[in-house]
Amino acid sequence: MSITGIEAASQEAAAGESALDTGAAKIQGRSQWQLTWRRLRQDKVAMAALVVILVIVLLAIFAPVFVSFTHHPPNIAYPNTGEDAAGNPVAPGTNGFWLGTDGTGRDLFIRILYGARISLFVGFFTTFVGVVAGLAVGLMAGYFGGFVDTVLARFTDAVLAFPYIVLALALAVVLGPSLTVIIGVISFFSWAAIARIVRGQTLSIKEKEYIEAARSLGAGPFRIMIFDILPNLLAPVLVLATLYIPTAIVFEATLSYLGLGIQPPTASWGNILADAQNFYSTSWWYVVFPALVLLITTLAFNLLGDGVRDAMDPRTERVFAAGRGRRGRKGREKRQVLAEDGSDAAHAAPYVPPAEGS
Amino acid sequence: MSDLLESTEPGPGTPAGDDVLVRIENVVKYFPVRTGGLVRRTVGHVQAVDDVSLSIPRGKTLGLVGETGSGKSTLARCVAGLIPVTSGKVIFDGRDVTNLSRSAMRPVRREIQMIFQDPYSSLNPRRRVGAIIGDPFTIHRTATGGERKRQVQELMERVGLNPEHYNRFPAEFSGGQRQRIGVARALALRPKLIICDEPVSALDVSIQAQVLNLLADLQRDYGLTYLFIAHDLEVVRHVSNTVAVMYLGRIVESGPITPVYDTPRHPYTAALLSAAPAADPDTAAARQRIILTGDVPSPIDPPSGCRFHPRCPKAEQICGTQEPQLEAKAGDAATHVTACHFPVQAGENLAAAQAGAN
Repeated sequence: MSITGIEAASQEAAAGESALDTGAAKIQGRSQWQLTWRRLRQDKVAMAALVVILVIVLLAIFAPVFVSFTHHPPNIAYPNTGEDAAGNPVAPGTNGFWLGTDGTGRDLFIRILYGARISLFVGFFTTFVGVVAGLAVGLMAGYFGGFVDTVLARFTDAVLAFPYIVLALALAVVLGPSLTVIIGVISFFSWAAIARIVRGQTLSIKEKEYIEAARSLGAGPFRIMIFDILPNLLAPVLVLATLYIPTAIVFEATLSYLGLGIQPPTASWGNILADAQNFYSTSWWYVVFPALVLLITTLAFNLLGDGVRDAMDPRTERVFAAGRGRRGRKGREKRQVLAEDGSDAAHAAPYVPPAEGS
Repeated sequence: MSDLLESTEPGPGTPAGDDVLVRIENVVKYFPVRTGGLVRRTVGHVQAVDDVSLSIPRGKTLGLVGETGSGKSTLARCVAGLIPVTSGKVIFDGRDVTNLSRSAMRPVRREIQMIFQDPYSSLNPRRRVGAIIGDPFTIHRTATGGERKRQVQELMERVGLNPEHYNRFPAEFSGGQRQRIGVARALALRPKLIICDEPVSALDVSIQAQVLNLLADLQRDYGLTYLFIAHDLEVVRHVSNTVAVMYLGRIVESGPITPVYDTPRHPYTAALLSAAPAADPDTAAARQRIILTGDVPSPIDPPSGCRFHPRCPKAEQICGTQEPQLEAKAGDAATHVTACHFPVQAGENLAAAQAGAN
């Protein structure tokens, strides 16, 4: 095509702009996310985990709605209806307490719902802070290298090596336990592992030719980090984030259990469990239900994280999916067929003596 | 000799001095070799490019050949300003562009573009083709929005891609199409010089021809100048006006295509040419293959004198002590220069000489 050809083409393009637009929309390539979602939808375990998480999130969001049903606000004690004659919690289903009451006669179900608000907020928020900080530190350390890398990577290692419970205890004692301190402490300990993984990935990605191509076009370091490296990091970071949320939730529960986290009367799964330990012999529900919710939530996030990882990278899926449901059996059948074909071929082929020395 | 080598006297039939687009003067690129550990000591240097001078006339193609590790790509990156040179000068279009700062280099980037070897790693797998080709416009703020899209689609059409594939990902294209995307990206800012770093090495032969023809068409239409790196001698012969042969960071022979290919003077050039496969079996059978002994020596500690002497079938004592200068040998045009004490004579049987030496 000559130069006049280009002009003709450009006129054509200008004339048929709208036509081109619709054409482009029709054959728009499937993005990585669309493919991941399609694969994730096939994964029954991950989808079940996702449903469980959505239910817990909705329960937490609509906790006040349940209060309007039970008429038991989270921080109000009911000494008459919520405690038996001996002053112990009442069992589930008694006097309109769906999951029974706690040690001071408060509605356990409502308190678990309000605890979910705290736990999920802490889980999502600290993971968000950790991901943003981890990405920033990891990208800069990996991309700039040299002195920047030495300082940032050593700092990351120091944070990872720190006994976080000790620091959390110290901070809680000095600053006084509060939600802000909890969020600060958990965020501070969650970015380091993400930063380390991001740094490693950045080190390998920055050697790719497309980074050199971007540099040869005149792109600056921050443009390269955000437009060229970051899109390649989102997949592993999303998986990490999904697996970090339950860690943060457990961390918060741990701190609250130790009395250094959310302070009563505000409900949190950790401080409910802490109070419950005095009643485990008499009131099983007081221990079992908050522990079960904590277990189910963290398990669901972990299973979802595994599913997302498998869906992101189909190659790992093939390794781990063998024992999982229908796909695995299909794979084995296919392999068997292949083996049979192979043996047939071996019989049909003329015998070739093995080469000498082999 | 102004054709290729830095020289003041214009050789016969070569363009005048001011028609030279790129002049490389005594460019040296050493990479320090450092010990690991906390205190990094420099223990040596990889002499990737050592005292290379070349010039490329406007609108012409210089082919740069040599085996892996000879410093071709390093030289290309020095010219493109992607890595700083240790010493020497790169003069582009009359301006000294050696080791400019990023901001000073920015306007020059528009005029020097690169096409990379591997069409799989030179395109960011997470970005759509439209964004990849549109990057130059965004970075240099020459077009935005609909205008940018129109220009990108024009470029796609120009390099033989369907403009409707604007929204696809690189993974949805074949190797040849991907390389066309790379060509479109390099062409976007209408550069004067395009450095082609083995642009067809990763493609299969039928596709190679298509991409080479595309490059030739673009050169004709836009008056592009190419620095064309390859290790396929036939490809270089097909596209280049002049050729330079590199060995261990040095130019050993350079000149117009025909004399260098017909009467190679340097034993290394002769060996390279004899190793290239011939399509005609009769030619192939009649040809004397010069098989070099040993491996390419380490560029950290290159041989003294002529760097080729440990492997040269014609080497004598002087080759190990005195470095040969690039000069026109008896019977050659002034533009055909060779760095050898004992240049190959027409009709000389190097293979026999080698057999005798061994």
